[in-house]
Amino acid sequence: MARNRPDWLPRALAALLVLTLLAPVFGWAAGQVGYAEPLENAAEATGATEHATAIGSALFPDYGVPGLGGATGTFVSAVVGTALTLLLGAGIGRLLGADTDQRQ
Amino acid sequence: MHIPDGYIDLPLALLFGALAVVVLSVAAKRVNGEISDARAPLLGVVAASIFAAQMLDWPIPGGTSAHFVGGAFAAILLGPHLGALCVATVVTIQALVFGDGGLVVLGANVFNMAVVEVYVGYALYRLLVPYGEFRAAFVAGWLGITAGALTAALQLGLSSAFQYQLLTTLSIMGVGHLVLGLIEGAITASVYRYLARARPDLRPNAAPEVSA
Repeated sequence: MARNRPDWLPRALAALLVLTLLAPVFGWAAGQVGYAEPLENAAEATGATEHATAIGSALFPDYGVPGLGGATGTFVSAVVGTALTLLLGAGIGRLLGADTDQRQ
Repeated sequence: MHIPDGYIDLPLALLFGALAVVVLSVAAKRVNGEISDARAPLLGVVAASIFAAQMLDWPIPGGTSAHFVGGAFAAILLGPHLGALCVATVVTIQALVFGDGGLVVLGANVFNMAVVEVYVGYALYRLLVPYGEFRAAFVAGWLGITAGALTAALQLGLSSAFQYQLLTTLSIMGVGHLVLGLIEGAITASVYRYLARARPDLRPNAAPEVSA
């Protein structure tokens, strides 16, 4: 059962690191211009904005870390979220690939 | 495009949640046992890159903004079924850990971004790929996200919080994402072309997932 690390993995991880470093920069820039998605515009146009509710409490609300500054919190959130997604995605990939290994 | 709780009526949220579960279950069955050891980490890397890319909000001065969603990109690179599971993973983590998108409407958000955008994007890609991979990937990204947005607009426009103003939600979200989707299409096509040239072994036809 070969579990060899793909040769493209180090470069892919480096690219992910670059994306996480960019997150606070884009977050700052979006804040400067008043970021608003079409969904928010539709909610404002129909008066739905006040109906938005938050059920439960997220660990990193709004991609920030309570007690940390905006840019730092965004970066930490980006790193945590990227790492979590990487691990979970790879885990699902291994899980769904397990039958192949058993057949071989 | 992440809908918060309170925006969609409960029956609609449950309906689209159930649809998402059905589609993802079928997707998991279709790819089960078909992923090679070499491609398993690719699912994680693509999911992580989509998560990170979604944090990059495009700063468009004075107008409506958006961020890359990546459904069509995942579908083209991983195949539609694995692509759907990939984007569903991202959307679920965003809701549970970061509060981006509601919990009651999680299934609806998964349906819009991980089902509609992925499968519509992939269908368009397959349809147009004889005319060129770049063009096909561009249209897949562009119209895939627009289709996802229109589905979200349908859910919102049929809900009481939006006063059943279906035409308003369809027009604002449809037109908005039709324009912003050009950026999604450009990123989808550019990144896919780069990857296809740099690492042709990562292309789905180099290691087929399953028949679509």
